[in-house]
Amino acid sequence: MKKIVCTLFVAGFIAWTGVAYAVTVADVDTSLLPYKNFEVDPVKFKPGTVVNKSNVEKYKDSLDVGTYQSIKDGWYELTITETTSFDPPAAYIEATRKNFASTKLGEGNLVGFVAGRPFVEEPSTDDPKAGEKLAWNNKYSLIAGDGGTIYPFYWKYRNMKSGKLERQIKLEVHSLNFMHRTIEAPIPNITPNPSGIFRALYIGVEEPFDIKNTQLLIQRHEDDRKRDNAWLYLGFQRRVRRLSSGQTTDAFLGSDLMIEDFEGYNNRVADNNWKYIGTKKLLLPFYNHNDLTELSTEFEEPDGYRYVAFGGQGNCFPKVPWQLRKVYVIEATPVDPNHPISKRIMYMDAQTGFFSRTVSFDRAGKLWKTWMIGESHPDYHLKINKGSGIPQWDAFAMIDTQAMHCTTGQFHSNNDPKQVSPKMFTPQYLRKRGK
Amino acid sequence: MQIPHRKAPVGLKLKTTLLASFLAIFAMSIGSIPVWAKVSGYVENDTYNRYTNDRGLSKVRNTLQLEYSKELGSVGIFSEIEFNTTLRATYDGVYDLNSDEWGNHAGGSITMEQAGGPSPIGPIPPAQVPFGNGIVLPYGDYDKTKNPNQGLENLGQYLHSPDGGLDIAVPVRPCDKDSRGCLDGYMDADLNELRFPEFNDRQDWLREFYVDATVPLADGKELGLKLGRQQIIWGRTDLFRVLDIINPVDFSRNNIYDELEDIRIPMWMLETELRTGPGKIFDDLNFSIVWNFDKFRPDNLGQGGTPNQILDAGSFFRGMKNLWDNGGTVGNFAFGNTATNFRPHTLGIKDVELPNWTLSNTQLGAKIEGVYKDVGFSLNYLYTRQQLPSLHGGVPALNPWGPLSGDLTEQPRAYLPAFDIHFPRVNLFGGSLDYYVDPIKSVIRVEAAYTTGEEFPNTARPELYSESDVIRWVFGWDRNTFIRFLNPKKAFFFSAQIFGQHLLDHELKNGPLGLIGMPDWKDNYLATLLIKGWWQNDRLSPQLLVAHDTKARATTFEPSVSWLVTDNLSLIARWNTKLGTGARKFNDVRFANQFPPFTATPLHSDPNTPLPVGLMGYEPLGRFRSGPLGMAKNEDQVSVSLRYAF
Repeated sequence: MKKIVCTLFVAGFIAWTGVAYAVTVADVDTSLLPYKNFEVDPVKFKPGTVVNKSNVEKYKDSLDVGTYQSIKDGWYELTITETTSFDPPAAYIEATRKNFASTKLGEGNLVGFVAGRPFVEEPSTDDPKAGEKLAWNNKYSLIAGDGGTIYPFYWKYRNMKSGKLERQIKLEVHSLNFMHRTIEAPIPNITPNPSGIFRALYIGVEEPFDIKNTQLLIQRHEDDRKRDNAWLYLGFQRRVRRLSSGQTTDAFLGSDLMIEDFEGYNNRVADNNWKYIGTKKLLLPFYNHNDLTELSTEFEEPDGYRYVAFGGQGNCFPKVPWQLRKVYVIEATPVDPNHPISKRIMYMDAQTGFFSRTVSFDRAGKLWKTWMIGESHPDYHLKINKGSGIPQWDAFAMIDTQAMHCTTGQFHSNNDPKQVSPKMFTPQYLRKRGK
Repeated sequence: MQIPHRKAPVGLKLKTTLLASFLAIFAMSIGSIPVWAKVSGYVENDTYNRYTNDRGLSKVRNTLQLEYSKELGSVGIFSEIEFNTTLRATYDGVYDLNSDEWGNHAGGSITMEQAGGPSPIGPIPPAQVPFGNGIVLPYGDYDKTKNPNQGLENLGQYLHSPDGGLDIAVPVRPCDKDSRGCLDGYMDADLNELRFPEFNDRQDWLREFYVDATVPLADGKELGLKLGRQQIIWGRTDLFRVLDIINPVDFSRNNIYDELEDIRIPMWMLETELRTGPGKIFDDLNFSIVWNFDKFRPDNLGQGGTPNQILDAGSFFRGMKNLWDNGGTVGNFAFGNTATNFRPHTLGIKDVELPNWTLSNTQLGAKIEGVYKDVGFSLNYLYTRQQLPSLHGGVPALNPWGPLSGDLTEQPRAYLPAFDIHFPRVNLFGGSLDYYVDPIKSVIRVEAAYTTGEEFPNTARPELYSESDVIRWVFGWDRNTFIRFLNPKKAFFFSAQIFGQHLLDHELKNGPLGLIGMPDWKDNYLATLLIKGWWQNDRLSPQLLVAHDTKARATTFEPSVSWLVTDNLSLIARWNTKLGTGARKFNDVRFANQFPPFTATPLHSDPNTPLPVGLMGYEPLGRFRSGPLGMAKNEDQVSVSLRYAF
């Protein structure tokens, strides 16, 4: 009896701490470089294979529920490409190796985290904190490296039934990690940083005229219990307004995205309850931009770059190939009972830690929106990104399946440190840029 | 013989030099291929119908605005040099399409109220006396040919009847058609200047024209410079201008209802800003100095005879200026009940004292702005001028009973409404902050200012004005809240504000017939509420704006719907209506015995001493009790705005 009690106690303790077994350096490789021994059925996933309405059932187990439904409904067909590893930068891997052992879950925050990926062990459904750990991994993933720029960044709002273009927005986006930096100096932290800002995001609108000069600044704190600071500069008011957090769950500029949807998920870890569902091999839109056979001819860039083309139902789907990836499936339930979403099923690419696909359900539990973001290998993108190890966001689509409406995005992105500086992430910068 | 040339004022020289420099930059900036130049703009038609009093069209404004900016790179120590300009041209067709109300054919012949009743000269019959037919006082009549009974309206006639109070005639036609009552350099627009308001003496078509540049300093700090004609915005509140007073405002466009962005009057200014960014204590800290070296410009209150006048002040000024220059009939003046003819230089507004350009007349401001522990804050100081006019009594004037006592020259006379308009110096000390309060999911905004030097009408003072320090503040609350039965997918934006004003040196006392002193309320509070919703991906957005003046007991409701038809084409439909009390009465300094002993009443214990006794009427000071909302009570309008942006 005593033995049973002890066993239960240990099991309970393990469950409580979330440490199911001793994590080793080997887990770092498994976590960050999972494609060394990744098996792909060469026939089923032969590059060039088209998955469409006629054969979608065959691939049902390799598709997320949203993509499966879209293909089944004839809205989209995808082409399979070869699975490739998106190796993170060596510095990020090294930082992970150095620091993973010291990182623990604390009360609302991590304890002992320095840099790299916080949790490298394979998630387990036996671990009630597995989902939360993956959310932390997403927070500290190389979403845009230590800093990044997207300019120009074109958003299009479309009627998905008719394909009619309703609105087109041209944006400029910058992001910067103030802490836990691994690639660009200063490492690990930018100082001074009196409020402990972990990361900041700047978005400026260049077109169209009615929202020109609208700018958004979000500062995320290292302390996950603290609310983000957010400011909005409205061109017609010429004033910086503090944003209430309610606005982060509102459609941004009338798009189908909430501020919270940016980058797959853009809010605190604490804003959701995270439940790890399982690990799967799924098709995700990962590819080499420079190998795309069909590109948009719409916008001309001085460097000759051409954007991803869109097609499918209502021109809401990026014309990019998909590859079989190792994916963690997570269910995220908003803590706020007034949140417009009841839950999200989020598909995290295991290697990058990005939420590449997300399916959202409204408060009644009905499928509402699906998010997809195409990731290009940096070596096959703009010349400046070659060798950076930072996957490049290339195209996104957020589809409102209830309203039959979508917002698509086309990126021209890089991680050139010269294009971001701490001064860009202050309210004063909004005033300066806003005229 | 050498012809002496007139030395150009320093300000003019400075601006001429600046303008030349800017034109050179402009030429440079458009001379090359504008790869990084940005051109945008819009054409817009804004049509308003004022249905109360059947006034019909009140605005048919057609606007073309062009915005051009170009990055010019780095020169010497300066980087991020950018040139910006905004050009705006407006044609308001209302002066052509509704000229009976607002243009060359506005107004007509009028009558003045004579309430009638007992008087020292016997019973006065109640009557409507044609303008020009009042009783004539001993100093004689005015020249009817210079102030004929045509093109006139009664002051405030669309808001109230005189009801026994003062009744003043207002010429209402453009100043080229009828120069009566036009205040030179202040309210003197001719028809074309009303039709094309940007094409005036101050070249307002050049709405903005400035260069900004950055000087990088050590440790990531930088010095920002912005020079040229521009808007500089302080503060954190909407609609109310507590700190946002660097640029004067043009209320003639749409009273208080246009976006401040469109009605701030750009000034030639230099702004220097030391941006230190985050430090050990502050997350962001910046120091800025603003030098407004432009020639002073007051707020544009709207001219008498035009559809948009805040407080109907333009009409009051025009009526009073006409009365001073040309004389005229004033209803219910003599004995408080008799239409009375006055000679010129007896009552009215003599002159407007717009400050000349001198270095000492320029304006200076300083601001510290930053973020400390999630609180955005600013501390502000501004050495400026009152942008609203202050009427100084005591202007030497004639005594209409003068021949009876040999008082035949123009003399300062206590409590006599014979004014000059001044714009006094004001010191403003203020601050603002904003903070997000997570437990109530709300943003709190606060703005406060303490000013010294402001002047207010005051009938208790012989000069009819006095100075008061003022505290103004705004408390704002913003929250996004779902109303799920209306829109389950997107929250509504609620924004409420309370504005408070406290006059520290307020004076008000009871006289035998009513209140005497400052018509402005000692403490007043205005509240605004904005509720805005969005549908169809923000392309359809209805909103409700409500404003309430607690002391005036006046409320404005402005529901509107904006529809973004395409990225380029938008349509806004609005309804602006007011409820509550409109006109309010206050002491009008009749019976103040300004011409003793002839105007003494039984209420004057000393018939040789001027003294107000509190006789009240709607005009002219009731407007300060009614406020902008109450004074516009009968200006309900519907409007449609169609804009094509490019």
